[in-house]
Amino acid sequence: MALAQSPRPNHLLAALPEAERLRWRPQLEAVDMPLGRVIYEPGNRLSHVYFPTTSIVSLLYVLENGASAEIAVVGNEGIVGVALFMGGESTPSRGVVQSAGQGYRLKADLMLEEFNRAGPVLHLLLRYTQALITQMAQTAVCNRHHSLDQQLCRWLLLSLDRLSGTELVMTQELIANMLGVRREGVTEAAGQLHRAGLIQYRRGHISVIDRAGLEKRTCECYSVVKREYDRLLPATMAV
Amino acid sequence: MVVNRLIATLPRALQRRFLGQCDSIDLLFGTTLCGAGQPFRFAYFPLAGFISVVLTLGQHPPLELGLIGNEGMLGATLALGVDGAPTSAVVQGTGAALRIPAGLLRRELRDSPALQRILGRYLYISVTQLSRSAACMQFHEVAPRLARWLLMTHDRAHVDRFHLTHDLLADMLGVRRSGVTIAAGALKDRNLISYTRGEITVLNRKGLEAASCECYRATIIDYDRLIS
Repeated sequence: MALAQSPRPNHLLAALPEAERLRWRPQLEAVDMPLGRVIYEPGNRLSHVYFPTTSIVSLLYVLENGASAEIAVVGNEGIVGVALFMGGESTPSRGVVQSAGQGYRLKADLMLEEFNRAGPVLHLLLRYTQALITQMAQTAVCNRHHSLDQQLCRWLLLSLDRLSGTELVMTQELIANMLGVRREGVTEAAGQLHRAGLIQYRRGHISVIDRAGLEKRTCECYSVVKREYDRLLPATMAV
Repeated sequence: MVVNRLIATLPRALQRRFLGQCDSIDLLFGTTLCGAGQPFRFAYFPLAGFISVVLTLGQHPPLELGLIGNEGMLGATLALGVDGAPTSAVVQGTGAALRIPAGLLRRELRDSPALQRILGRYLYISVTQLSRSAACMQFHEVAPRLARWLLMTHDRAHVDRFHLTHDLLADMLGVRRSGVTIAAGALKDRNLISYTRGEITVLNRKGLEAASCECYRATIIDYDRLIS
């Protein structure tokens, strides 16, 4: 699969200088990322890093009793497995596909080799890590202080930014798991957005019909995160 | 002698050179050391006292996402090559710290794999703590969270008694003041802490550890695995 011709490439891969692109190409493995697939579990040694193209991966912190909270989403703007760059060896979170699609993966030891060359790739990956940390911090406080209605808007917008269309294949059950709330809460919040004419929901499909309306209704957390991504990452990433 | 544990891990020659570039300052309760989104002018390595990592949303009081004492540093994200601070940081326990200008730290990082390694690992611990705090805030009850918070403070204050009002605790934990009062009362009834007029004394550390949520121990395990 040719990287450059991919209709929605991964922005980090697309920003690679020519030399890196040629070197990486034979090592990158195209992978299917079906809905619900667990990419890694907390504490597992990282065997690969993932570059989503048409999929979205949700990073969740999992407590001992199994309850989990979403701390960030990663789509075609990013990479799954940044713990590797910090010498963490294992990942502290669970990575699970929240929107089905494709991606590429690269063996962790190859990624580390590239990283240790200390070239432009390193800077790009570190900047991405900073953006991701901002998203994590903002998500943490948003979950505490903002209404479920606003959180749902933020979540839909962040997901939409990482997809090509206006439709998400998504059950309310899954959203409830991501936001760490009960399913009934999501049903109610989604119902409000539906009645306000912002989304349509049927049988596991959410269509966003008024994006501007969602942006108006969401909390400031969406724009804080988006601004930081736009500021730190290559222009190709402007979504 | 109280030292900064991150600096203590550096090889001796590097440690000496690094310390030569730091100056020592007082940490005064309530001082804001950096604002979210603002560039770091300095990185701070506490010797005594501690710094609270917070983020503020709109009209809400700042919510705490982490604590930094002499086990850590403020400004580890400078290792990512970006100037801006992802969160704000405020001194929560008066003490002292070493500080180094951000530019000098970056130069040292370029030249020293040992420094890169330790800052990277500390960053990993901080990011993990941030993620853990998100889940902890969402799912854990106020009393275990308060116990965790008191233990983290106790570790960094290096004394058994510290000054903390219920209002401040409520803001930090993101709960109502009445919630903190009830939770603190429960810990007091079990003789784990005592408090009078904003002075909290830790009476039974083991007991507090048992009353805390899993999040306290998890952070200690990370630190021991990656740093000590």
